[in-house]
Amino acid sequence: MSDQVSGPRATRSGPGRVLIAVYAIFALSATARAVVQIATKFDQAPLAYLLSALAGVVYIVATFALARGIRPLAWGAVGFELLGVLAVGTFTLVAAGDFPDDTVWSIYGRGYGFVPLVLPLVGLWWLRHTRPR
Amino acid sequence: MIGSLVVVVLVVTAVLAIYGIAITIANRPPGRALRIAVGATVALLAVQAVIAAIRVFSGVTLEETSTFLIYLVVSVLVLPIALQFATAADEDEGPTRWGGLVVAVAAVATAVAVLRLQGLWAAGGV
Repeated sequence: MSDQVSGPRATRSGPGRVLIAVYAIFALSATARAVVQIATKFDQAPLAYLLSALAGVVYIVATFALARGIRPLAWGAVGFELLGVLAVGTFTLVAAGDFPDDTVWSIYGRGYGFVPLVLPLVGLWWLRHTRPR
Repeated sequence: MIGSLVVVVLVVTAVLAIYGIAITIANRPPGRALRIAVGATVALLAVQAVIAAIRVFSGVTLEETSTFLIYLVVSVLVLPIALQFATAADEDEGPTRWGGLVVAVAAVATAVAVLRLQGLWAAGGV
């Protein structure tokens, strides 16, 4: 109503902290997992492991952009994340055989309690909610 | 890993998660009690990590030793980092009610890591 504060609300303010914490945890787990997979058994499923690494990088960028309040970068990273989870999720659902090993985004993130599917939606909503007006 | 200690750790992280959620619902900033609760939980996790690491390095063979050790480190480090973030003061605002939920998220992530550790241990223990 009478919001006297000028400028946009920081992306890391209030519940934004919780969102960033979740992103940071996914950045850590997806990246660490991809590094181990690529280092120890890359030949088994190169595409899946490269996708794991890509997902890890996207989570890192999103975490950084949200924590720093760099909106364009945050929109890009979270938007890409949504496209990624939808594309990989659909592909793994249709052609499961091509993915011998799971990635974060396989079957819409089933291995991670579908959080990877919900997270970008919450992220986009939060960016919109805190946008400058 | 020790089966009974894993159970204790899982119960403690679950209680910590509920406590964090309660702080957010009660609209209170994270305070001294939460710091103590996190500290106690981390101490327990550290004890578990040391025992597991000693057993790994003294001959217990696992299928995925490197993954196991990474999870071991993560299981101890996530909560202290989250507590720091939860209680940090910004230029915009001091600690807020949401700090409790940050700790709760970290507690759940830690519990998942411990479950993964237990799974790796059970699968590879010879």
